[in-house]
Amino acid sequence: MAEIRAEITANVWQVVVEEGQMVAEGDEICILESMKMEIPVVTEVPGVVRELHVAPEQTVQEGDLIAVIDEA
Amino acid sequence: MTGPRSREGGDVHEWGPLVGDLAQRKARALGMGGPELVERQHSLGKLTVRERLDLLLDPGTWVEYGLLADHMDPGLGDRYLAADGAVTGVGEIDGRPVAVAAYDFTVMAGSMGKVGEDKIARMRAHALRQRIPMVWLLDSAGARIQSTSGSSFAGAGALFREQVAMSGVVPMVAAMLGHCAAGTAYIPALADFVPMVKGTSSMALGGRHLVKAAVGEDVTEEEMGGSAVHTRVSGVADLEVADDAECLRVVRRYLGFFPAHNGERPPVRATTDPVDRRVEELYGIVPTAPRRAYDVRKVVAAVADDHEVFWIKPEWARNIVTGLVRIGGQPVGVLANQPMVLGGALDVNAADKAARFVWLCDAFNIPLVFLHDVPGFIVGSAVEKQGIIRHGAKMLFAISEATVPKISVVMRKSYGAGYFVMNGLAYEADYIVAWPTAEIAVMGPDGAVNIIHRKTLAAIEDDDARAQKRLELAEEIRRNIDPYVAAGHAQLDDVIDPADTRLAIARGLRISADKRVDRPPRKHGVLPV
Repeated sequence: MAEIRAEITANVWQVVVEEGQMVAEGDEICILESMKMEIPVVTEVPGVVRELHVAPEQTVQEGDLIAVIDEA
Repeated sequence: MTGPRSREGGDVHEWGPLVGDLAQRKARALGMGGPELVERQHSLGKLTVRERLDLLLDPGTWVEYGLLADHMDPGLGDRYLAADGAVTGVGEIDGRPVAVAAYDFTVMAGSMGKVGEDKIARMRAHALRQRIPMVWLLDSAGARIQSTSGSSFAGAGALFREQVAMSGVVPMVAAMLGHCAAGTAYIPALADFVPMVKGTSSMALGGRHLVKAAVGEDVTEEEMGGSAVHTRVSGVADLEVADDAECLRVVRRYLGFFPAHNGERPPVRATTDPVDRRVEELYGIVPTAPRRAYDVRKVVAAVADDHEVFWIKPEWARNIVTGLVRIGGQPVGVLANQPMVLGGALDVNAADKAARFVWLCDAFNIPLVFLHDVPGFIVGSAVEKQGIIRHGAKMLFAISEATVPKISVVMRKSYGAGYFVMNGLAYEADYIVAWPTAEIAVMGPDGAVNIIHRKTLAAIEDDDARAQKRLELAEEIRRNIDPYVAAGHAQLDDVIDPADTRLAIARGLRISADKRVDRPPRKHGVLPV
């Protein structure tokens, strides 16, 4: 299990994946919006998206859990 | 050592036994800690100190100091410690001399003994006198407690003070090739460049056993101070490498960018890559949509000679990238904001990484190039608690102090103090140009609209109408954020086609090659840290 956490306080702009979806290393999980920029959040491990904790227009704080990936 | 020692009477030219005895003594020293410990060193995936020197230096250039040294400590009795565990001497890298101090883990775990440390002190003095780089190959358990456990420690410590005196005068490299604790962890902290071998090297103020005793934590050297910690989390080390051989290659490559000392210019290398090469791949790399991210490392590689970049701290504070490149053969230090990480916004670690890199390049007359795409410093209560103001001030300090040629290219965003610390015009930029996509302003339109038009917006009761008005007002502000406005004020020296970025940098370097800056004399500034 790999946890993906927010690295910056931000608004969630888009969620790119769904729970249960397969992802490869480097795939985008969601796109945050902060500091005038779209900030892609990517997974560093391949696997299945086990949990998704964010939805569009929600705010995340630095360190908040975004997703849990079940490592392949 | 037993050998025929009789020099009285008999033959008057009986040299054979004497020369034979000398050869035996040298062979024994070159045998290091003996076959078993050499075998153990190899089984750990490490090379011996002698094999390392062969890979570090040009063949046939090694001149050793103190091969015949031993511990000379009555407390250690008859025990023989080859070279007292510290191999020292002078050799050449690409035909240029360097002083070397290499700890031998096969000799009492490379522990720092009195004689060995005297030898290394002699190398530090030599490096400073000759104004040549110093390289440490570190594979040492730290102080030799067996010899120094009492209060004679009160006289120790000159090694660090001397290293501080060398800083910025001659390049210093500390290669981490084993588990190093305490004394041998401060040596890299005071050096300029620290590569670490993955899996076999670590550094920590206290070794595993001391940590267990002192604070009760049960932790391995690797978990506490391995390359994963120091190249990704703490930022103490600069580069993670796969093995000893790669580490030594990296040291050679690194020093190729540097002069022998701060009174020289860095060595220019012949290149077949034309400085006026059009970099049209930049059109494909950098989106014109200002909020869209891309990998700025591709931009740095695209403008460098032969696309070659020597990254410094690539895995730490990845929101800014720092690397050594050549442009027209001339060594240059590049700083570029990385929109892919934190949107390229600056945080405390990015400011530290940038300040340190600027000090490194400035100390050794390596010109600086700044590629701007920065939305600013991250704001909010989290970063204030981390002291972003003092870290940001440190970056301002480093940029302001640097007197090497400084070239700025504003690619896209450059907002607020982010523009200053990326060497804006007011920071003695020698040549500052922008792409047509450049946005330079105190803050972005979406932030500015809420401050400038706060009352106007608050007076609108309908939510949709207010949102609409906010967009209109932001658009008004956006129209003034335009590189041609800055160019109209002559605050940019030129607006360029991105494909001409390499040429613009080369021109800037040529124009400012003989830069001189005079400042009022002082001991030193009071550094924000």
